[in-house]
Order: sequence, then structure tokens, then C-alpha cells
Amino acid sequence: MRAVQWYRVLVVLITATAVFLPLGIVLYQSVLDAPFFQPSAKLSTSAFRFVFADSDFHRAFTTTALVALGMTLVAVPLGSVLAFLLVRTDLPGRSFLEPIVLIPIFLSPVVLGFGYVVAAGPVGFFTLWTKQVFGSAPWNLYSLASLTLIAGLTHIPYVFLYTSSALRGLGADLEEAARVAGAGAARIALSVSLPMVRPAILYSAVLVFFLGFELFGLPLILGDPGGLLVLSTYLYKLTNRLGVPSYQLMAVVAVAIIAVAFPLVYLQRRLIGASARFVTVGGKGLSPRPLPLGGWRWPAVALVLVWLGVTVLLPLSGVFLRAFVSSWGEGVRLAKVLTLENFGELLEYPNLVRGILNTLGIAIFGGALAVVWYTLIGLASHRWQSRWSRALDYLVMVPRGMPGLVAGLAFLWVFLFVRPLSPLRSTLFSVWLAYSVVWLAYGMRLISSALLQVSPDLEEAALTIGATRGQVTREVTLPLIRFGLIGSWLLVFMIFVREYSTGVYLLGPGTEVVGSLIVSLWATGAIDIVAALSVVNVVLVAAGLGVALRLGVRLHG
Amino acid sequence: MTTKLIRGLLVWFLWAAADPAYAADAKPIATAAPIVSAAEKEGKVVIYSTTDSVAAAPLLKDFGALHPKITVEYNDMNSTEVYNRFVSEVAAGGGSADLLWSSAMDLQIKLANDGSAQEYKSPEASGLPGWALWKNEAFGTTFEPITFVYNKRLLKPEEVPQSHAELVKLLKANPDRFKGKVTCYDPERSGIGFMLLTQDARTDPAFADTIKTYGKVGVKLYTSTGAMMERILSGEHLIGFNMIGSYAIGKQRKDPNLGVVYPKDYTLVMSRIALIPKVAKHPNAGKLFLDYLLSARGQEIIANKAVLFSLRSDVQGEYTAAALNKALGTSLKPIPVSTSLLVYLDQSKRLEFLKQWQEALGTK
Repeated sequence: MRAVQWYRVLVVLITATAVFLPLGIVLYQSVLDAPFFQPSAKLSTSAFRFVFADSDFHRAFTTTALVALGMTLVAVPLGSVLAFLLVRTDLPGRSFLEPIVLIPIFLSPVVLGFGYVVAAGPVGFFTLWTKQVFGSAPWNLYSLASLTLIAGLTHIPYVFLYTSSALRGLGADLEEAARVAGAGAARIALSVSLPMVRPAILYSAVLVFFLGFELFGLPLILGDPGGLLVLSTYLYKLTNRLGVPSYQLMAVVAVAIIAVAFPLVYLQRRLIGASARFVTVGGKGLSPRPLPLGGWRWPAVALVLVWLGVTVLLPLSGVFLRAFVSSWGEGVRLAKVLTLENFGELLEYPNLVRGILNTLGIAIFGGALAVVWYTLIGLASHRWQSRWSRALDYLVMVPRGMPGLVAGLAFLWVFLFVRPLSPLRSTLFSVWLAYSVVWLAYGMRLISSALLQVSPDLEEAALTIGATRGQVTREVTLPLIRFGLIGSWLLVFMIFVREYSTGVYLLGPGTEVVGSLIVSLWATGAIDIVAALSVVNVVLVAAGLGVALRLGVRLHG
Repeated sequence: MTTKLIRGLLVWFLWAAADPAYAADAKPIATAAPIVSAAEKEGKVVIYSTTDSVAAAPLLKDFGALHPKITVEYNDMNSTEVYNRFVSEVAAGGGSADLLWSSAMDLQIKLANDGSAQEYKSPEASGLPGWALWKNEAFGTTFEPITFVYNKRLLKPEEVPQSHAELVKLLKANPDRFKGKVTCYDPERSGIGFMLLTQDARTDPAFADTIKTYGKVGVKLYTSTGAMMERILSGEHLIGFNMIGSYAIGKQRKDPNLGVVYPKDYTLVMSRIALIPKVAKHPNAGKLFLDYLLSARGQEIIANKAVLFSLRSDVQGEYTAAALNKALGTSLKPIPVSTSLLVYLDQSKRLEFLKQWQEALGTK
């Protein structure tokens, strides 16, 4: 028993180190008046005073809060209904739809945003077409409402993943009971299934709201022409505002974002209450049968397809179109400008192959390794009622408070100034560690959602017949959460392929990854190559996902 | 007759540049022999650069052909990253790049002025104009005109403004047509954009009125020339000013719908600055690469293959200082490689300038 406690404390300590090293640097930096490594740096509140007195900061904070709230209100209801439809009902084509609904997460928001500009911007092909047919196109892509709606729609997959993973683990007996009592699919969804996976839905709601606070790629592209400023683009602005990068001001904004995170985690814990209320994977249970939708079948399919059309088809067609033409927009006959030149140029790009291999490596193996780490953390706090385990809950949320760009810079500092780590800086390990810490919250939530549903009676039964804690973990708990683990690995794989801002500062020979290459090329304005590279990126993820799903399907059977 | 001659010369030079052996015969690089052998012993040169890999590829290839014993580790990133990475690495004491090559002229001069660059009397520096050199520490390497860029499909030839004054006149005459259709760098988010705007303030006698006019048409602000050209070509915007000419010409070669104007009243010229850090681990290789960049051979590639415009007066071709001087004469205003660039790195002066800009735009 003592050995088990040791293992748990050790996991907490290692995780805490990985989280607090970069965070500590950021916090420390925020109370200095110059970069922390400069001898002249002194303790000061000047950075806080500068930021809090800046009217741009107030504007950015308000806008961010509105966007975060709005996108949560869009994503959570739609995402959980989507999960119910795909997991629990006889929705036509659901096995075909399932991988497709995840696509918005695979795409770097920078690319997605650009796709929207090409498709639905003021001179986008869809806009021009609408104008031709209806006389006018009544939307403004660069408005706050559009940004919120697009952010909400593109974040539906996060809610879907958490909710569907929980729904899959749900015993079907309660739903069966409701059906026998005469309830329809909608009634069952709203009164039985979805309430039972409330922890997963609330987790995802908090995460989506929080993601709103660190939204970067979309507002970067869509906020530009309308002058919309959110916290992360404000932070980006600060890199140049004073000519030389003002780390202390950036750190203050990061601290402000982290300060928003803590009450959210607290709120989340309060809302969930006693997790035992939601235990549903017991020793016995019916294998779930799909609920018949009846007359709702086709309207439900239509709803899903409209969402996919707006969120996937529209921006992707923009990106793909852009990749195969030399120019577009008002007065351009697309048939005349078709070209493969963008891909030719991409092929000539140095380090492309290494970048692709690195990306795959970090996504497949790094992703698996990250899931192992997350699982260790999850198991460490599993059935462990102590202050340590509560601390862990907060701990894993903390890194999400650091926008990717800041986290990347902080990790560069860690690898520069922590001597034993410095030989590892120009290896993929640095990128892996940064990614794993930044995405800790996501992976963890999926795993703990799964763990939450494992009934203690199974574990206790094993303990009663003399199994050790380790045996229980290996023979009972882990097999029960294997779907959660696979889902988690998938999620992490996709996110690592797409991740763009964290790797920017760690980018160098040997550590090139596609996401960061896209950002780096975007910054130089090489949009032809960016479009081609985005297509390659999408194809890579699609291929990876296809393989993983086949594997998953086999494991299901 | 003259165009024929120029075209003939151009073809000749393209051919000469395409054949490294020929170019080498014509103009050897003047690096001292001991430095060359020390550099070969070092075997490696690490470069942090803002010039993207695609544009730099012909330079790296040719340098590799000249010095097969030296591996070039080329890192392209944006100007803020170059600066951030360098100062962080220097502070950590683990060594850094052997050559910094960046278009953020002010940050490069700041590094040199703060004592981060080492002195090197490059034998090739004699080919440079005086304004492009600072204390044998910071070296201008290119001659990139700052231009207007417009959409040829949507702007009639007779409408195209040929000077800053004409641009202002055009916008004043058609405020509705150009509403939201004009674009430039955001000086708050882009270091280069800020630098160019302060140069405008120095050079344009009617600057206050000019920026007020930009404000009236609701100028749209971006952070890269590429992003602006994309939106100009699509017709979302019509015209952009303070666009980096080298990128514009590169784009124009692929899409002839892009129009490029060298403003007749004044054309700013920026230069990518190279410096060798004191902490360089391969200082001799750094010197060798610097000499190569400044040499006639390197500059010919800069002019004709990388299309970044050569700085040397003895390099001929369309994209050279020589050709621009001939066409534009005294209206060319090179931004000097000097400490005058540091003025606006002073926080209060910078914020003051930005405030003036925002007030003119009516965003504050």
C-alpha cells in the first residue's frame, strides 16, 4: 500500500515540475521590468500597470469574454446532441459520419480561417456566387458575430469527443427502461442519456469556454480587417508594440488568462459534485441497442450535414481551391488559373520531408507517449481521496492558461537555462514535452472521464479476492478504459499534427514540424506554399485517422 | 535601343549567374586565405535569417558549391523570433548563430550597438555604398525598394498613382470607392511596418495629411506583404503602400495581374542587415559567408535568382541598385544602416508616434 502512495506522489511531483518550470518563468517575468535574464531586471509592477491602463487590453478582454461565451453556447448543445445522434441512435450513415465530424480539429485554425476568407470573405467564391444568385450576400465574415459563430461551430468536435466517449461507456439499461416506458429518442436524450454524461459535457463546456480565451489562429485571420482584438492577438501585438519584444507585458497577459482559468476549474468541480452519482459501467449491463429516431431520422441527418457543410466543406473547399490556383477573387475565371505550381514549389522547399516525418513521429509515437503519461497521472489520482489529487486537478488545467506562443517561448527558456536539459533543446524531445504539457488538460479530461465511469465494485471485487493494487490496475481498470485511451490517443495524435503556435520558438534543424512550418511560412507571406502544405497536412491527418479508425473498429469487434 | 541593350545584358547576366564556374572565374571572393582555411576547419556555419528558405536556396547552393567542406545550417524565422532567440541564447551562455541576417534593421542595429556583434573588416565591404555599413559590424546586403502594389484587373492604368501625392489625391477624389480597399503594414504589430512609417514621416512633407487620408478610407492593416498581396489580387483590396518590392516582383512574376509602382516622389529602400555575433562558435565560417553575401558573385544571385535586389553598383541586371538608380535617381531614399534607426526603440517616442498614427486613423 505504501509503495502505491509513493508512485502517486512521484507522478504528481514530476507533472508539477513539468508544469511549474515554464509557468514559474512566466509568473516571475510578469513582475519584472525587463527580460528576466538581463542583469538590469528589477522587481516591479510596471508591466501590470502598463497593461491594465491600456485601453486595448480592456477592449480585447471584453471581446474575448463575449466570443468565449458565445462559442460555448453554440458548441455545447450542438456537440452533445451530435454525440447522442452518432453514438446512441440509428442515424443513417453514422459510421461514415463519425470520422468526418472530427475534421475541424485537424486543421490549423490559421488555415481554416484562411479557407473561410477564400470561400466566404467579401470576394470569396461562395459570396460572389450568392451575390450573383440572390443579389446580395448578407454576412460580414469579419464581424464579431461571424467570429463567434465560426469558433463555436469549429469547437463542436471537442464537445463531441468528450460526450461521445462518455456515452459509449454508458450502460444501456436506463435508456432501455425509458424506451419501454414509451419515451421517444429526443426525450431519452434530454432526460436520460445526456444528463448521465453530465460530467463529460461540463468538462467540455469549461474547456470550450476556456479555449475561447486562447483562440489565436481564427481571430488572427478573421479579426484583422475588422480590427477585432482578442487577448491572444493583443499579446501578439505586444511583441512589437515597444519595438523590442516586451516579455514582461506578454507575461502579464498570460497571467491574466491563467487567472481566468482557476475559477473555471473550481466551478467545474462544484458542478460535478460527487462523481459516484455517474457510475454506469458496472459488472453487468446490456450491450446498447441503437434508439430508433423514427420521423426525426432525416431532419437529424440534414442538421449534421448543414453543420459539416459550413464548418468543413466551406473552408476546406477554400483551402483546396487556393492550393490549385494561382489567383482568385473578383474578376478571376478560375478555370484559367488552375495550376499545380504551388505543389511544385512546395516540393522544392528544403526540409519538407523531414518536417513531415517529424510531424508523423511526434504525432504517432509522441502522442502515444503523451497518453501513457496522462494515463499514469489519471491512475495516480484514481480512487485517491486526498489533497494531492485535488491539487492534480488544478495542476493539469494550468498549462492551458498559457497561450501556445508563450508556452513555446517559456519552454525555449527552460531548455536554455536549465543546464541538464540544454543538450535536448534541438531534439524532438523539447517539442514533445512542450506539446504534452500544453495539451495536458485535454488528454487528462478524456482519461479521467473514462476512469470516472469505472464502478468501484469491480475493483473492490478484485481486491477482495486478493489482487494487489497493481494487479487491479492492470487487469481491471485499464481494460475497462481502453476505449477511452484509444480515443485519447486519437485526439492527441490529431492535435499534435495540427499544433502550430507552440513549436514556433523550438523550430530549428531537426525539430521542424508541419504546423510550425505553416506559421513560419505564413509570416513571410508565402501563401502559395502555405495552401499546398495545408492540403498535405489534411491528407496526412486523414490518412492517419483512417488507419487509427480501422484499428479502433477492429478493437470494437 | 537601350531596352534591347538592357535585355541583352540581363540575359547575359542570368546566364552568367546560372553558371557558377563562370561567375567564379569572373570575380573571386576576397576572403583572406587564413580565414578560409579556419572556416573549413570549423566545417559549419549557423545562420538565423528572415529571408525565407526558398529565396535563399540559390545562395546556399552556390555557397555549398564553393565550399563543400562547410555545412550551412539555415534557420528561417520571423524577425522577432531571430531577435528573441538570439538574446535568449546569449543570456543562457550556450552560444548562438554565426550570422544574423535580418530585415528588422532597427533590431539588428540595436544588437550591434549593444555590443553583440564582432568587428570584421570585410574585404568585400568596399563594394558597398557608405550608408550600408556601420562600424564594420553591421552590413547592408540588399537594396529593396518599397513600392505600391495594386490590382491590374480592377484599377485602370490611368488611375494608378505614381507618387505618394497622387495616391492621396486619388483617395481624396474617390473616398467611397476606396473605402476599406487600401492596405498597409500595421505599425503596431509589424516592426518593419513601423520602421517604414517613421521613414515616411521623415520624408513625406505632407505626412500628417497623408495618414489622415488613409484614415478616412479606413486603411486595412496586416502583418506581411504576402497577406496583403493575396487580398489585393483577390480584389478584396485594391491597392497597398509600403510593400516590400522584392516580394512584390517575385509575386508579379507568377501573377501578372499584380501591378508594382516605384513612387516617383520618393522610393524608400530597405536593406537586410547581416552581422556576426561575438558569441559565434564558427566565427570564420560566419565571416566567409558574410563575404560571400557581399561579393559580386553572391550579389548577382541576390539580384537575379533570389530577386532581393543587389546593393553593389558593379552588379548589373534589372533587380539591382544600378538599375534602380538609373530609373529613379535621387528619389531613391535608402534607409541608412545607422543608429538613427534606434530613435523609435525608445518606448515613449514609439508610443507617441503610434498615438499620432491612431489619432490620424481615428481608431483612438
